[in-house]
Amino acid sequence: MKKGFILAGLITLFSAASALAHFQMVYTPQSALETGGDLNLKLVFTHPFDADHTMDMGPVEEFYVIHQRGEEGQPRKTDLKEFLHEISWKSLDNEGKAYDAKIPSRVMRSMGDYVFVLVPSPYLEGEDEYIQQYTKMIMNVGGVPGNWHEPVGLPVEIVPLDKPYANWTGGVFRGVVMANGEPVPHAELEIEYLNHEPDMRRNAFKKRPGIKAPHPAFESMGIRANANGEFTIGLPKAGWWGIAAPDLVETEYNDIDMVKEAVLWIQVTDIK
Amino acid sequence: MKLGKMATLPILAGFMMLPLSAMAHTPLFSCFDNGDGTIYCEGGFSDGSTAAGVPVVIKDSSGKEVKRLELSRTSDVEFEKPKGNYSVTFDGGEGHSIEIPGSQIFE
Repeated sequence: MKKGFILAGLITLFSAASALAHFQMVYTPQSALETGGDLNLKLVFTHPFDADHTMDMGPVEEFYVIHQRGEEGQPRKTDLKEFLHEISWKSLDNEGKAYDAKIPSRVMRSMGDYVFVLVPSPYLEGEDEYIQQYTKMIMNVGGVPGNWHEPVGLPVEIVPLDKPYANWTGGVFRGVVMANGEPVPHAELEIEYLNHEPDMRRNAFKKRPGIKAPHPAFESMGIRANANGEFTIGLPKAGWWGIAAPDLVETEYNDIDMVKEAVLWIQVTDIK
Repeated sequence: MKLGKMATLPILAGFMMLPLSAMAHTPLFSCFDNGDGTIYCEGGFSDGSTAAGVPVVIKDSSGKEVKRLELSRTSDVEFEKPKGNYSVTFDGGEGHSIEIPGSQIFE
């Protein structure tokens, strides 16, 4: 009987833990574009696998894109905050403050890589800790690569070792976890599949999930980087995958503990 | 220089590109109509290498060459929009050339 209670307690604990993986999203349906043009992004702070709860985002601290055409091209940074406006994003059981960004074609016209960077304001988790997720999402126009593999100089970031916008289902994706410009040995990582397709028009997650997890551990998968901060993940399903490196830097904000975390979004495409 | 200038232009949409495939060093080329009587083209390769110096040939409706330019240090070029039907060719050599008809270059 006592054993049963302990087991039930553990299951509850693990279930609760699995539902706590926050991911700052920077979403658009397609990351590899044949042609440039107007672009719509959604900035949502949520739980991508189960889409059950969206946290309110505060004012955005930074939102910009670094574009580079070709290995020898010059990176060009464009501030995007002027294109943001607040929206309400519908999850399966609540609504939360989020942002819509309508990026004009004059920003997204040229070929090459576009590294979008979002620094949200710190989010108060409970009453005793802030979290701030430095988030990157990388797109390409026309096939000419650029700066997808370059660090952008954030305090914490995940630097890709493979093109984040050109991954086949069944392949792998590699990256390096960095903090203050240095790789983080044995960094913890959480991986989640964006399981409920975002509805761009309704500002909502679709109710129907793409996959069903057989166990809570599969909802937010945990891996560790190696001694050089490098990691590899498999890509079993087409769609968007979020990679988060939590608790990379501990600091304070408003006299309360704060952790800086890194998030990278990658897209996986089926071989047809 | 071109990018800075382009960023200030009011009409910038319009895009055309014809990526070739199945080569390790695929040429890529795109052109826009700036909407101010000029055409802007940029080139590159799928491995990220520069297309600086690649000839860009403008032909009239009969296929006759009317102007020959080359991509700049930043792999782009700008020229006056020709009258009538025309085409723009990225002349990267045999198997590495891309021709874009003027009718498919949009604002």
